[in-house]
Amino acid sequence: MSDRPLDPQALRDSVRNVEAGGFVAFEGWVRNHNEGKTVERLEYEAYEAVAVSEGNAILADAMERFGLLEAKCVHRVGTLELEDMAVWVGVSAAHRGEAFDACRFIIDSVKHRLPIWKKEHYTDGDSGWVNCEHCAHAGVALEHANHHHGASSTATPQPTPGPSQEGNSGPAFGDSVAKATPNDTAVVSSKIQDETCKTPLLGGAGGGLNSNNAPTPAAITEAGYYARQIHLKEIGQAGQDKLRQARVFVVGAGGLGSPALQYLAAAGIGHLAICEADSLEASNLHRQTLFDAPGVGQPKALLAAERLRALNPFIDVVTLTDRITRANAVDLVRDYDVLVDCTDNFETKFLLNDVSVLHKKLLVQSSIYQYEGQLFVYNPDHDGPCVRCLWPEMPKPGCVGSCAEVGVLGAIPGVFGSLQAMEVLKHLLDLPDKLQGDTFFMDLLSLRSYKAKAERNHDCPVCGTHPSITAIVAEAPVELDAADLGGDWSGYALIDIRDEEEADGERVPIPFAAHRPAKDIQVDALDIDVPEPWLLVCSRGMRSKYLAMALRKAGHAQVFSLRGGTKALVSAK
Amino acid sequence: MSTKTLKIGYYALLREQRGLSEETVETAATTPEELYATLQSEHGFSLDANQLKVVINDAFKAWDTPLQPNDNVVFIPPVAGG
Repeated sequence: MSDRPLDPQALRDSVRNVEAGGFVAFEGWVRNHNEGKTVERLEYEAYEAVAVSEGNAILADAMERFGLLEAKCVHRVGTLELEDMAVWVGVSAAHRGEAFDACRFIIDSVKHRLPIWKKEHYTDGDSGWVNCEHCAHAGVALEHANHHHGASSTATPQPTPGPSQEGNSGPAFGDSVAKATPNDTAVVSSKIQDETCKTPLLGGAGGGLNSNNAPTPAAITEAGYYARQIHLKEIGQAGQDKLRQARVFVVGAGGLGSPALQYLAAAGIGHLAICEADSLEASNLHRQTLFDAPGVGQPKALLAAERLRALNPFIDVVTLTDRITRANAVDLVRDYDVLVDCTDNFETKFLLNDVSVLHKKLLVQSSIYQYEGQLFVYNPDHDGPCVRCLWPEMPKPGCVGSCAEVGVLGAIPGVFGSLQAMEVLKHLLDLPDKLQGDTFFMDLLSLRSYKAKAERNHDCPVCGTHPSITAIVAEAPVELDAADLGGDWSGYALIDIRDEEEADGERVPIPFAAHRPAKDIQVDALDIDVPEPWLLVCSRGMRSKYLAMALRKAGHAQVFSLRGGTKALVSAK
Repeated sequence: MSTKTLKIGYYALLREQRGLSEETVETAATTPEELYATLQSEHGFSLDANQLKVVINDAFKAWDTPLQPNDNVVFIPPVAGG
């Protein structure tokens, strides 16, 4: 978003790329008439945080969908005169076809999805607000943006806009990106950012975070803070001291993580880690009550940490804004005793289970579906089952819907995240009737609940007598080098993902196992019938990398991308 | 062939596809595997038995466990939402 006139030359230069064969731009101008009235000037107003995050999502979507090299969009706010430029979209790509299509896609999506309103001033002295096609007021616009975003994020695994990884500047939505993102969050590190802090940060680094005027820490004492729970005879000061010593690692600051983190922090867990890589989206707010609307676009881990430090100034809160993976998990959780799984995907759930079993951590896991949820605890000190005792193999992602696909009412994760906090506290305080081994189910519509007993499975691949999983092994890198393969492609099914036109233009003397243009490939509805491992090939190796990453995320472990694309293929041959 | 009365519970995706969370059925099925096959063909469930777990009388059980009259059988698909 920009409140200053747009400079098309500078914008054009910003999407230059040496690999680009074409550039397409669209400029939207203020015209002198609308619906029979003569317009004198315009005012644009935006819900800026949502517009920026939605805009970035559109650009990321377009980058992936069309295999672009660069994409940028800037929208004006403020007062504009006739002929002024209201919006600029520019994309560069290897070929003109993608560039034209992507530019159209972006401007259409921007018009349709972004919460931006214009007020027209007419020559007759009258004026009026004109909304985007479907929205009547701010509230509806927000819902609207969020609805569409939900739909797009199910079809498109969010590519991490990682400039350094992609070798280009990645998507950027106008000038406000820097404003919407605190400086310390751009860092993609695999180390925990130790932001231990004994006092709440009021109106600190988080920028738009809305802190209330909390009493100063000096006005409250630890004894006063915990008075009500210390009063419980099962807890007392001894129990409170145990909580202060506890080290709890929470993965996911979303629907489950919001209540879990708040109750754990407020109960006085001395060392609390928040692991969450996503930034806040408008569609999170109905269930993720740790956050406020002005935080949209900002990293959730940092927003959560600031809120929790304000909630309880007597605990240490650390954040990790990187994703937990097979490569970093063991190091990250080493100093923690309890893992709380508030994630929304099988891959991380199974990873956390394996880490808990192999490294003897208590695991408190929950998952929800629409109006129901389940709760499970793996206790390494108890001879009970782990997740894989019941589900030896990870279910195929997509076999059941995610919250984005099937919907969820906010109070459902609210209940289950609170139950997770309760189970953590029961275990740390050694309260009676801890859940361990059983799975607890509850349907919040009928309010029916039950616990299902399960036995340890001696054939379990991780905790059984002869386990096949004995260490957390990092997955193979996505990109393969033609040089490393030495011209031997026999271990892979080569999939040509170039368009027909491109493939015709550059014949490669290699028999592809299949040809599927990238734009026709749907990650959740694949029609590639050759067996994996697949080596995806495009002309430069960028579309294939995006696609391979999306397929990996969807559970296809044996998908690779040829670095450098067909150029590399030809030279290696 | 003799039949028995069973209480069936559906969870998550199955509940959604069946349109209810609990029902009582009269069945000739002798194992949960047979029972699910019948219910799947009747209601068009998208998940196959090998993607599910079955709970009988509040305990996870194998698919070939013999069914007894009045058993409470719940089918559980994997769930990952959060």
